[in-house]
Parts: sequence; C-alpha cells; structure tokens
Amino acid sequence: MAVIRKVKEKIKKVSARKKASKRVAKAKINKNSAPTEQKKEILGFREMVVEQAKFSHPEISRSRRGLAQDLPNKYDQDKLILQVRDPWWIHAYWEVRSATIEKLKNELRDEFYKAKRIIRVYDVSHIIFNGHNAHSSFDIEVHEYNNSWYIDTGGPGRSWCVDLGLLLPGGKFIMILRSNTVTTPLAGPSWITDEEWMIPEDMFARLYGLGFGLGQSSPVGRAWQEKVKHVLSSGVSSVSSPVKKAARKFWMRVDCELIVYGATEPDAKVTVQGKPISLRSDGTFTLRFALPDGKQIIPVKAVSADKVDERTITPIVVRETK
Amino acid sequence: MNKGYLAIVLHGHLPFVRHPEHEDFLEEDWLYEAITETYIPLICVFEKLVEENIDFRITMTLSPTLISMLTDPLLQGRYLKHINRLIELAHKEIERTSWQHSFQKLAIMYLNEFCKARDIFEKYHRNLVLAFKNFQDLGKLEIITCGATHGYFPLMDVCRESVRAQVKVAVSHYESVFGRKPKGIWLPECGYLPGHDEILKEAGIRYFFSDSHGILHGTPRPKYGVFAPVYCKGTGVACFGRDLESSKQVWSSIEGYPGDYNYREFYRDIGFDLEFDYIKPYIHPDGVRINTGIKYFRITGTGNNKEPYVPEWARNKAADQAGNFMFNRQKQVEYLNDFMHKKPLIVSPYDAELFGHWWYEGPMWLDFLFRKIAFDQKEIRLITPSEYLEENPRNQVITPSLSSWGWKGYSEMWLQGSNDWIYRHLHTASERMTELAKSFPNVNGLLKRALNQALRELLLAQSSDWGFIMGTGTHTSYAVRRTKDHILRFTRLYEEIKANSIDAEWLSDIESKDNLFPNIDYKVHQ
Repeated sequence: MAVIRKVKEKIKKVSARKKASKRVAKAKINKNSAPTEQKKEILGFREMVVEQAKFSHPEISRSRRGLAQDLPNKYDQDKLILQVRDPWWIHAYWEVRSATIEKLKNELRDEFYKAKRIIRVYDVSHIIFNGHNAHSSFDIEVHEYNNSWYIDTGGPGRSWCVDLGLLLPGGKFIMILRSNTVTTPLAGPSWITDEEWMIPEDMFARLYGLGFGLGQSSPVGRAWQEKVKHVLSSGVSSVSSPVKKAARKFWMRVDCELIVYGATEPDAKVTVQGKPISLRSDGTFTLRFALPDGKQIIPVKAVSADKVDERTITPIVVRETK
Repeated sequence: MNKGYLAIVLHGHLPFVRHPEHEDFLEEDWLYEAITETYIPLICVFEKLVEENIDFRITMTLSPTLISMLTDPLLQGRYLKHINRLIELAHKEIERTSWQHSFQKLAIMYLNEFCKARDIFEKYHRNLVLAFKNFQDLGKLEIITCGATHGYFPLMDVCRESVRAQVKVAVSHYESVFGRKPKGIWLPECGYLPGHDEILKEAGIRYFFSDSHGILHGTPRPKYGVFAPVYCKGTGVACFGRDLESSKQVWSSIEGYPGDYNYREFYRDIGFDLEFDYIKPYIHPDGVRINTGIKYFRITGTGNNKEPYVPEWARNKAADQAGNFMFNRQKQVEYLNDFMHKKPLIVSPYDAELFGHWWYEGPMWLDFLFRKIAFDQKEIRLITPSEYLEENPRNQVITPSLSSWGWKGYSEMWLQGSNDWIYRHLHTASERMTELAKSFPNVNGLLKRALNQALRELLLAQSSDWGFIMGTGTHTSYAVRRTKDHILRFTRLYEEIKANSIDAEWLSDIESKDNLFPNIDYKVHQ
C-alpha cells in the first residue's frame, strides 16, 4: 500500500491533543490505566479513545443509591474455564467445591499436604484429547488461593486444554478439573493457500434466471453513468509542526466577568448599551458579561412606562491583564 | 465505469442507560450528547443529500439498546428537557459574550444548532429511529443490527446459547422496528470467533464485518486480502474485512483527520471552564462539573494555549480532508484494480459517535465526501455490503480468524486484570439461563414474565461497555455497579423461579426499570 501514500496529509498527533487535554481536564483520564498510557500507536488504540469519549464523565459519589450488594465469591461448582486473550495468551479461571477438596484430602491424606497445586497446559491441536495424547504439555505452579491465571502459551494457531490438579512428591499427577478446549488465532497469514470459491444457492438461482447478466439488476450502476465528471479536487497538504514533548502538567487559567445589576420601576423600559433587557417582576435586573481587556462603557437607561421620566447611569470598567 | 467500491460503515451504539428512579442521572447524558452531536447532525446530512437528489450509500449499525433508548418515551421526554436547558444556556451565553465577538459568534452557532436539534427531534415525533428508517426505505442507508446488548461474543463462547440469544433477540427486535429482517450484523466490538457464523446463519443474517487481521489471518489465505469479502467455510455467511489504510486516515493518532489544529477542541467545555455559580444550573445537581456541549476553542496546537474556534477554517479543512480522503481512495482502487484484475471493495468502518461527538466536524466531512464522490470523480462508487454481494456473488471460502477491533486486536480490552472477574459470574448466569429455558419449555403468566425478565437482566449484564469501562480504569464505578446489579437481579429471579416463589411486586419494579425488548422470548437462550 506504500504506493498510495504519496499524497498524504501530515496531521499533528492526536495523542498530543490528548496529552494537553489531560492537563485541562485531568479528572477524565486516569494516567494509571495501562491502555491510555501507550505511547506508540497500537492496533485499536484510537477506537478505544473514541469509545471512551462516549463515556466522558467524572466520577461522582454514589452513596445515595444505597450500599452495593456484592456478588457471591463461589457458586458451589467444579469448573475450569479457558478463554483466549490473543494469539499467545489464554486465561483460565476456576472454582473447586470444598467437598471436592475434602474428598481429595481423605483419599490422599498426608500426600495431599505435600503435593503442589499446578495447572497443566496441553497442546491438543488437531486431535481429540483423551488425557494422554497431547503433543506436549507444561506445568505452572499455583497457590490454593488462586482462582485464575494468565497463561503464555507461546503458540499462535494451536489448540489448548488445561487440567488443574495436584502434583504428588513422587511425580504422580492427580487431576481435579479439566477445562474446555480453545484455539489461539494465527499471528500472521496462513500457510495454506488452496482456494475454494462459492456462489450461494439463492444468488446462483437468480443469476441463472438473468442469463448470467452480472450487475444488470443494479439500479446503482445505471445511475452512476449519469454522473457528471469533474476535475479531481487535489489533496491539499497542510504543513505540520513537529510534535513537541509534552510540557509539565501544572496549569492555571484566570478569567474575569462583570455583573451589572440594578433596579427601577417594574414597568419601566431598560436598555443596556442600547439593547433592551427584561426586568424581573420586582423591577430588578442582573446582567453578566465576560470581561475582555480594555475599556467598557455601559450606559444603562431606564424610561418610565408613561415615557415621561428617564434616567441614565453609565458605569465605565477597564480591565487590564498583566 | 467505476474501478472499485467504497463502503462507509458507521457503528452506532450506546449501552442501555435508563434510570426512572432518579430525576437526573449523569450517565443518561451519554445518549443526550450523542443525539445532539451525532445522530441529529447525521440525519441533517442525509436529509440534505436526499433533498438535493445527490446519490449516496452508507451502512449504519443501530444497536438494539440504542434503538430501545431512542424509542423510549421517558428518555425522549428527558432529552427534550435537556435540549431546552441547553437552548436557555446558549441564550445566556450570547448575552454574556457581548463584548467578545469571537465567542459570541460561536454562542449564536450553538443556539442555532440546539434549536435545529429540537426541531428535528419534534419533526420525527421524538423518535429518531423513524428518520433512519426513512433513509433505509429510500435505499440510501442500510441499517444493520448488532448483539442485543452489545455482548462481546468471543468471551461468551463457552455458553454459545448466550451468543445465540444476543443474535436472535437483536434480529426479532430489528424486525419489529423496521418491518423486515436485518441483512447484516455488526458483531459487537467487531469480535469474531470461528463458528459464530453458524449462529448468524440460523438467524438469517447474510454478512458481518471483521477487522483486517480477521480476514488476512484466515485459513486458507484470502486471495484478495480485505478487498473482497469472503464466505465463512461451512455456513457461507459473508465476512467483510476492514481496510486499514482508510481507517488510519480517520482514526490514527499520527495521520488522523480529527486532530487538525483548526478543529474544535473536545476537552474545553464551558461546563468545566466557567464560574461555578453561573454554570451550576446546567451541570449535575450535585455540583459535579460535566460537559455541556458548548465548546469555544479549537485544538490550536499541542500546548495548553487554546485559541477561539473559527467555523469557516474548520469547514475549509473538512472540505480539504474529504478531498484528500477521496483522492487516496481513488489511487487505492486504481492500484488494486490493476493488481487484482477485479473491482476492489474498500470497507471503512468507524464508530458513529466519532462523527460529531468526538470529531465535531465529522458529519460535515462526510457530507463533503459524499458530494465530492458524486460529482468530482468516477473511479469509486459508494455501495452497501448487500448491494456488493448482489453484484459479486462469487467469493472465496475461508475460515476467518479470531479478532476484534479493540485494543491490540483481540480480547485483551475485555479480559485483563481489571475486568476478568466478571466472567465467572456471567458464565454461571448463562448456564443457569439455559437450565431455566430447558426446565420451562412452555409457561404462562407470572412465571413467563419472570423468565423473560431473567433473560433481559442477563443480556444487560453482558454489555461489553461495562468491561470496556473497567478496562480503561476511569469512572469505573457505574460499570461495576451495572454488572453487579443485573447479575444480582438475574440470580434472584433464578432462585425465585426455582423455588416457585416469585415476588410479583419486585418483578414489576425491575420490569419497569429494565424495560427493553418488550417482546423478548426467554426460549431463544438454548
């Protein structure tokens, strides 16, 4: 695709924009979260930032919703589940019923306490696994209190099955639980290049009816021909500035606003800088302005309902920022 | 004659957030913001193109949860309240910025936008789904479905009954809304695991999308890479692969369009910037500052200093970049056409909420792109996946590879230290749901209601959004809360159903809160 990249806008790093934003609204981005700290472009990173922006709200206290009830730690089941994280890593979680452990303790007696608790990972690619025919296996020692583990298989495109069990001092393995089988995806293109092609039955039937007139049924195709040809608008390139290293996070902003308020007869007509304003029912009014640097002359004029009386008061405000 | 095709795909989704029990609920703003900033601007773009008779094609997911919220009277009423408050704030802003011309111009722009949003909202009788349906009926837009609650399928594989329920509930919901079956599906998070195409086939779905590596790492090797769809071996369901080149231009942190310095800065919002007492009525009642949607600055540069937004500059930039995008696609199809001896298809999927919400100028860019494609060139033709399949029915058969469009391309976003604890609960609930569906093949009345609600609660717990938010590590408490709440509700229903002692009052209460999918049938969970 490198050929296509000849004309390409060079646009500044959005990541820099994000860094800047961290300073502005640091409540929104937690610097401890691993994904947002990625410096290099990682597949799916932008999708994540955008998706995260959908949920852009600061944390607020939820105590008013009552105390959270918690989920059970256990469901009283013997279960070992494997899931694929990526081409190299799989994740196992398990639960062993206390009855199952008790039974093992009774059977193994002393040996139970000398045994190591392990997970045994089998490569079961392309076979029906019977417990003994794995291509290879390796063990990971775990603790009694562990109930999940990330396993580095190092083997994309292979199938895996895991046993949780006890490794007795003599080397004998007692299986407690066996997992489901999972297959890690390939980390690159397949070596298999045999091609198979197909036309779905229903589509073939329709094509057959049309006498193989491919595309004739498309109104889009016809409409397209009528389109006027115009000169290509060229890809305009904008000059990019080199991305600077993010500055330190400390920041400050100061702004000024001016509140102009007053009161008159409730039925009077009032203008501020020539613009009519509305009064509250008691004849008071409040206006609020962002105050830029410079001099503001603010004539406030009230005219009585019968247009006989008139008052003008003109505050003059100067803002100078150093 | 065109030399290739371009399929623009927007994935529109938000998780189901609806809390009738609270007057103001922060997370409901996700929907209101997306309505004002994404859905309505897109509707405006489509309306204008139709009005001016400019042909275009676009494919959009409207996830079942998003449709459920857009059609919910409570949320519709609350949106109206929300937009009216924004209109009030915009009026105040116009006055407040009287002495700052560059800001006042923007305040007026926002007032117009908000009023327009309210008009469009009222025009479609508060139901924006009708607007999208309209464009679908006109043949311009192809609306596809998604998992019922956006569950991440690869991590539900140990209980395929749940994958099936996600798909079947979505399909029948789609049918009830649009009056026909969906042709395609956006697999939540683009997460595909070989074999799930069987479930899609059962549900009558003809195609789905995968990320580039889902196709490129498929077996056998795909002859045309991602530039032609493939059929899944065994089922014949078509899979369209994402084109990386065009994706990068929009998404990339290095080359992406939305980062242009002339564009509006997402993170500078008056909800955070203005003096507390003034802005207080427009932020959360607890005094927590939130985004209001009124943002006055442009990205400007990498530093802290931000300059006022200049709409004309941004507009020119969006036009330039639409031209640039088109030019690159033209070059891309020319090159591929020579190479493939066949018309390539470029599939460019994006999060719909990227357009307008995150990238304010996105809808404008899309508008320019469609107009330029219609008038300024002849190499590329916009197409929907189903049109493509009609015209190009002969495709290669492969088994695509496990993949997602999430962080690092597989399942790690949803399976890491911060969120892996949810699966033992989700999987157990799935198993229990299967057990219930099997134990009660034919029931009525209260029991049936309880079983249907149990499935609703399970589906809601499965939303990938909760795991995603936990994975990002920011404002996670709501996501944790939702996961637990739905699992707890499910578990209580399961126990009450088994003990034959259903608490009717409580059931009515959760039915009124988690009220989506009114015609759900628990028996699909098999």
